[in-house]
Amino acid sequence: MQEKIRNHINELFAEAPKTRKAMDLKEEMTQNTIEKYEDLIREGYSEEDAFQNVIHSIGDVTELFQDLEERNLLTLPEKDRQKKALLTAISVGLYILAGVAFVYFQFIATVSYNDELGLLGLVIAGAICIPPTCMLVYAANMYPNYQKRKEESLVELYKEARYSSNQEKAIKRSVSVIIWTIILVSYFIISFATDAWYITWVIFLIGACAQAVSELIFSIKRH
Amino acid sequence: MSITSDILRGHTEAIILSHLLETDSYGYQINKDIMKKTDNRCELKEATLYSAFRRLEQAGYIRTYWGDETVGARRRYYSITEEGRRAYQVYRQEWEEAKAAIDQLLK
Repeated sequence: MQEKIRNHINELFAEAPKTRKAMDLKEEMTQNTIEKYEDLIREGYSEEDAFQNVIHSIGDVTELFQDLEERNLLTLPEKDRQKKALLTAISVGLYILAGVAFVYFQFIATVSYNDELGLLGLVIAGAICIPPTCMLVYAANMYPNYQKRKEESLVELYKEARYSSNQEKAIKRSVSVIIWTIILVSYFIISFATDAWYITWVIFLIGACAQAVSELIFSIKRH
Repeated sequence: MSITSDILRGHTEAIILSHLLETDSYGYQINKDIMKKTDNRCELKEATLYSAFRRLEQAGYIRTYWGDETVGARRRYYSITEEGRRAYQVYRQEWEEAKAAIDQLLK
């Protein structure tokens, strides 16, 4: 009878990927099934009934085979979380550096009555802002989606919804950071370059408009 | 019954973790314990159990090793990690909160 159980499980695994993980799983499953079978026999079940019982309780294994191939994450592994935290920390540091550089150049420019130095400071500050912005966007995007499973329970669905809405929020935030960085930098550059301070504030309206458009795109994508 | 099995399935990971708190165990043993504790009312499908093991392993909450049985097939044991214990505590607390909330809503 043990041979019959082995054969049955071999058949179940015919479609499984040929990996070490799959072999381990097969061995584990065979051992557990046989042990259960022996328990049932000890309780007085007939061989055939015990066999049917253990085979039935295995359930649908095709779902399992996906796990043997692709990564399926309960939460972000510790390593990824640390990486993400590091990226965020460096980004914040660079933003502060950009702010300090800007203030420093403005100070020097005021002291030395050199407007071009002020403009240079602005450009440098803007340039410093670019890598951290890219890093934030990357951090928000580099993690795989929560894998959808075939038989979802409410709890799983809830977890997934929470996870995906977190991710969406992260992307949204990065987008709006990018928009406003660009707007602020271009406001100063254009104003200093053209000296048309009386009208360049319009750029901020454009920024608000861009923000609204990005929100709209997100909500369209969601539905 | 369908509510019970749905809820059970959603908490498979936590149930496994709580069984490993005291001592290392293997698939059939855990399922047997679940049946015993619930007077044979609940049993996890093996496929559900194994996929939960894989997820817990990938999350670093449990570790696995092969037993050294000399007779018959080797058992695959699981043991809980420190991280797994922490995750269990968090889960436990979340469950208490959810339970209280649902009790309130179904009054």
